[in-house]
Amino acid sequence: MSVLAPIICDNGTGYSKVGFAGNSDPSFVFPTAIATRGSASQNSRAPAVPTKPGHLASKRGVEDLDFFIGDEALANAKTPGYGVHYPIRHGMIDNWDHMERYWEQTIFKYLRAEPEDHYFLLTEPPLNPPENREQTAEIFFESFNIKGLYIAVQAVLALAASWSSNRVTDRTLTGTVIDSGDGVTHVIPCAEGYVIGSAIKHIPIAGRDISQFVLNLMRERGEMAAVPPEDQLRVASKVKENYSYVCQDIVREFRKYDEEPLKYFERYEGEHSVTGRKYGVDVGYERFLAPEIFFNPEIYSSDFLTPLPQIVDDVIQQSPIDVRRGLYKNIVLSGGSTMFQHFGNRLKRDLKQIVDRRLDASSVASGSVLKSSGVEVDVISHKRQRYAVWFGGSLLASLPDFYTSCHTKAQYDEVGPSICRRYQIFGSST
Amino acid sequence: MSEPGSLDVVFVDYDNVRFHLSTPERKTVLLLSMNIRCWDELVQYGALDILKREYGALLSSQTEPDYNVSLEIDLEQVPTDPESREAFVTSLALLKRNALAAPFERGFATQKELDSSGGQGELMQIHYRDEEAMYIQAAPDRVTVIFSTVFREETDRIFGKVFLQEFVDARRQPSIQNAPQVLYSNRDPPLEIRHVPGLRNSEDIGYVTFVLFPRHFAPAVASTTISHIQLFRDYLHYHIKCSKAYMHSRMRYRVTEFQKVLNRAKTEVATTERKTASGRTMVSR
Repeated sequence: MSVLAPIICDNGTGYSKVGFAGNSDPSFVFPTAIATRGSASQNSRAPAVPTKPGHLASKRGVEDLDFFIGDEALANAKTPGYGVHYPIRHGMIDNWDHMERYWEQTIFKYLRAEPEDHYFLLTEPPLNPPENREQTAEIFFESFNIKGLYIAVQAVLALAASWSSNRVTDRTLTGTVIDSGDGVTHVIPCAEGYVIGSAIKHIPIAGRDISQFVLNLMRERGEMAAVPPEDQLRVASKVKENYSYVCQDIVREFRKYDEEPLKYFERYEGEHSVTGRKYGVDVGYERFLAPEIFFNPEIYSSDFLTPLPQIVDDVIQQSPIDVRRGLYKNIVLSGGSTMFQHFGNRLKRDLKQIVDRRLDASSVASGSVLKSSGVEVDVISHKRQRYAVWFGGSLLASLPDFYTSCHTKAQYDEVGPSICRRYQIFGSST
Repeated sequence: MSEPGSLDVVFVDYDNVRFHLSTPERKTVLLLSMNIRCWDELVQYGALDILKREYGALLSSQTEPDYNVSLEIDLEQVPTDPESREAFVTSLALLKRNALAAPFERGFATQKELDSSGGQGELMQIHYRDEEAMYIQAAPDRVTVIFSTVFREETDRIFGKVFLQEFVDARRQPSIQNAPQVLYSNRDPPLEIRHVPGLRNSEDIGYVTFVLFPRHFAPAVASTTISHIQLFRDYLHYHIKCSKAYMHSRMRYRVTEFQKVLNRAKTEVATTERKTASGRTMVSR
């Protein structure tokens, strides 16, 4: 068994979270972006070929080394000759050439680890085609010669991360995961470690939309007049991150703010990124209106109108009947856009109402003969929500079971890439 | 600046080096411990003196169990102005480099002594990985550094061989005439270390020899030379991986090109209208 900690690598559409098992936070979080020679718009897929003529020693080009990843990639976006690419689209790897290079630098430059000495835990989105798993395994075993690989589903890791909450007593892998990042929100039901693919639902409202909504509100009130246009979206997202919370009743909240504006209005102080000129904006109703778009989407969008609790209920109702209780009982939050204060409480209350109403209706329909014993609804929020997927990976990879559940290099050499089509659930006590 | 919190983080560096950064007693006292495989050898070559010189009082007398060396950092005594703070953090980050620098510094010093007296310096062996080692020997006019490298993978071995031969060739270019001389031998250990017991004599092992002349470790450049040469193995492996990735991307490109050709070669299915006896058209779904 290796004494070196396994490496956890969670590559998301926007950001990659990488670090070592056993830690509570990823060591590095940086954008999943790579800058290579050749402009981004130029669509030729052919990699650069050394052009210099002459004997071998002078032909030595650096085409294979000429790239940047992460923040460095974005910093080099304007450098002539370089183009920025995002190798992951909608959670799935889109460009394997770029991804292979991206991993290369992640391992050698950021983690400073020799891949041959480490086990790796990678993550994949739900409904990832098995071909993608095979490609990933090929790269990791054949290019990097790693010791062992485990590819875990993000939603399952998010469930594992909720074990850190003290409200969770049994380490179960059954539950509903609400994963809300920057681009899109997923509601994913999991039964005993396996995703129920047919019931997954996506909501086109996530972090980016909340920031935009805050910006709209503040513009309407005229607060943004003081803020330089290029900083406005950044200010809006800061306001969202630092001041927003979920209220239980909008009408009461509005009244509270109107009666005592001095108590509830906050002031955000900023500085112009170029000139350094100071400015300030008042932060008011957007504090509780921002996350409200999850619960009343009609205040923001005109084409998507189903509230989040309703979606969660639909997802669970579409899942097999024997796991529904487990799904209602263990609703787990993951991702930065679920970090709002009281988000969990509000979701729990609204969902409970929907469930109770349905139970009442069915008891009335049965002529009050059959009475349900009630359905337990619980939403788990915990401290590690922001990087829940990564943290779940760190938790699982520090279990001794991890090494036996991994596919090792020897097994890979024996079977081939198809070995990764099979994977083993471990760590749960049920 | 935010308040110091409690911390417990493990991380690694190349060559099986493990670090543990924690706050065992108070939130303001950081304990940074390092476990390095060849610690005993390094101590023998004077690593403790170097670490004392670099870190002074930070060096903790109580080493954390399971680790080789510990530094105790009191956050209240860390310099506050940004520049010296940065320098302080950088020096902490160089813990592994400084520990590994010991045999090099000793080798450089021995060379100076031998310059007048003649003879051969001690052959210093540092087994920094399970199967690989680094040998340093001083002579009156030079210091020889030898790396043994093991490639577990067939493909890596070939890439490594090509790469290392290129390394030797590259020196012929006029711009890098002043670089240290590099020799590469596969399988057979170089003369300097041939007498060392326990050397493997198999196909997968290679030896890279760097010959450093006094101009390479003049006081002004000595520390950069040490930093660079330490990372040689990782540099080599990174480059092998990069070349492999580059080959793979060329291969993927080739495959898609071939696929285009194959698609063009598909014969077109003749689409004649088929009709029933009554004159209705049959449509295939």
